[in-house]
Amino acid sequence: MERVGAVLGGTAPDRRPFTLTLSLYGSRLLGRSAADCFADPALYAAGQRAVTELCQPDVLFGPFALALEAEAFGSTLERFRDAPPVVRKPALKSTAGIDSLRIPDPATAPGLRFLVDSVAAVVADQGGTRPVAAPLAAPCDLPIMLAGMDGWLETLMFDPALAARWTALAVEHFVALASAYFAAGAAFVVTPVMLVNPSLVNPSLVDRLLLPILREAFSRLPGPVVFHHGGNRIAGILPLVADLPNVAGFVIDERDPFEAARAALGPGPLLLGNLSGPQCALRGAEDQERRVASILSDRKNDPRFIFATSGADVPWETDPRTLERLRRLLEAPS
Amino acid sequence: MDFAAMQSTLYDHIMEARRREAADLLGEAIAGAGYEATLLSLLEPTLAMLGERWSSNALSLAQGFVAGKVAEDFLAMGAPVPGSPDARETVSREPLAGPARIAVIANAEDDYHAMGRSLVSTFLRLRGWQVEDMGCDVLAGDLVDRAVSVGACVVGISAMMLTTARNVLKVRAEIDARGLAGKLFLAVGGAVFRMRPELVTELGGDGTAETALDAPALFESFRLRSAGTGAASQAESAAP
Repeated sequence: MERVGAVLGGTAPDRRPFTLTLSLYGSRLLGRSAADCFADPALYAAGQRAVTELCQPDVLFGPFALALEAEAFGSTLERFRDAPPVVRKPALKSTAGIDSLRIPDPATAPGLRFLVDSVAAVVADQGGTRPVAAPLAAPCDLPIMLAGMDGWLETLMFDPALAARWTALAVEHFVALASAYFAAGAAFVVTPVMLVNPSLVNPSLVDRLLLPILREAFSRLPGPVVFHHGGNRIAGILPLVADLPNVAGFVIDERDPFEAARAALGPGPLLLGNLSGPQCALRGAEDQERRVASILSDRKNDPRFIFATSGADVPWETDPRTLERLRRLLEAPS
Repeated sequence: MDFAAMQSTLYDHIMEARRREAADLLGEAIAGAGYEATLLSLLEPTLAMLGERWSSNALSLAQGFVAGKVAEDFLAMGAPVPGSPDARETVSREPLAGPARIAVIANAEDDYHAMGRSLVSTFLRLRGWQVEDMGCDVLAGDLVDRAVSVGACVVGISAMMLTTARNVLKVRAEIDARGLAGKLFLAVGGAVFRMRPELVTELGGDGTAETALDAPALFESFRLRSAGTGAASQAESAAP
């Protein structure tokens, strides 16, 4: 906890803090299915305990299972043995059906209660030794999981009145779930923001349509948020999002250069990244170690940098020996 | 009418999601030069410019979506087919060699991600195709039944994820079991095929298109092959 606190305060830690997104990997270490671990808070916390024994990361995560938020609104999910759940069928056929939706209560909606209780269980289990980050869907992305991408884009761009109603719903849910996470002991929330990706929405529309949603939602958070790149490059749009309220840091994509990101953000915000988590299962250990060394060298003079995996969870099939080697390299003195 | 200047204006409207302004511009052009001239000298060249940007990843998905909506608006400005107010007369084009331009499209069984399919439908109709759009989560047997009943030469299947893309194999099996291979072609598309192009052939597809705007060229190449009169198009050969 002190190591991350030092970086947040801009002072030198004993060594560079690191984290790997191993929300899913706990199930692998327990020998249980992801479907089991993403349904039982005690099992999820046990998985994170196994992750801690293997890797000793400086930050742990709550369940990276954003689809559970969509399920709480009525979307149908598909669950897997070795991957997080995904939305199979959105709750609505069109955004016009918004009247049939109710904002779920994190204290009672089963999927949301699992998410919040899991964060509480990991926090209790770790006894204050390391911060726990709680992932949740960005309010500008949530409608995609509830009514489909085409429906949301059309509403967002061409129906301002309906878009405002969706925004209100998504922001209320975001604030409610984030508040529950903070009450459960989360140190910060982490939000992958997909629609700001320039290949999905061009920057002028991001500025006009999406930033107001993020600004309102983030300003109402009772704690800090880490802006996650959502699997896409974000260096190009960092100047647009740099001033969003309550943002403590940014997780950048593996393809984003740190130098450009730091130049866009200035010295204040944390920068996290950027070893690809999803590639951990595919790349050889030596390749990974070379990449880690390169990242650490690149950021050696950046006091507000935390080494982290970028993208989605480290895959279930990743060899634990690969993660052990990464740990040894990352624990070596700076 | 200065179509070159109008193309530039229409392009800007689409890039900035000004759908109403784009529709107004197309309406003015139709009033001044007619529907067919507006299609051939204004909308199609503008869509071609956008398609080039899309193929080189210089167009956002939102801009591609707006292009589809503008094309949809243009189609709605065409004269209604007598007795069928929902359908619009297509522009007169060169006489067809081979089978009629009829296609059946759907999302694969268990797939509910409709956006790509909707765009393909719009761009096909703009090129004079009769499109039977069966919607989301369509069973292979139902899809091929419809294709046979309407006399389609192409079925188009969209799938976003690997789990649903695997259901394309069922469509391939239906086509082959009925002896329709070489007559009824299977076009596949969706995010998973862009990320993993080897899946096109692994799952039995006859080809794919890089973007929705490229789909009409792919479908046309299949139509010509269905008649035994044509060769694979660039779009088709883009698939491994």
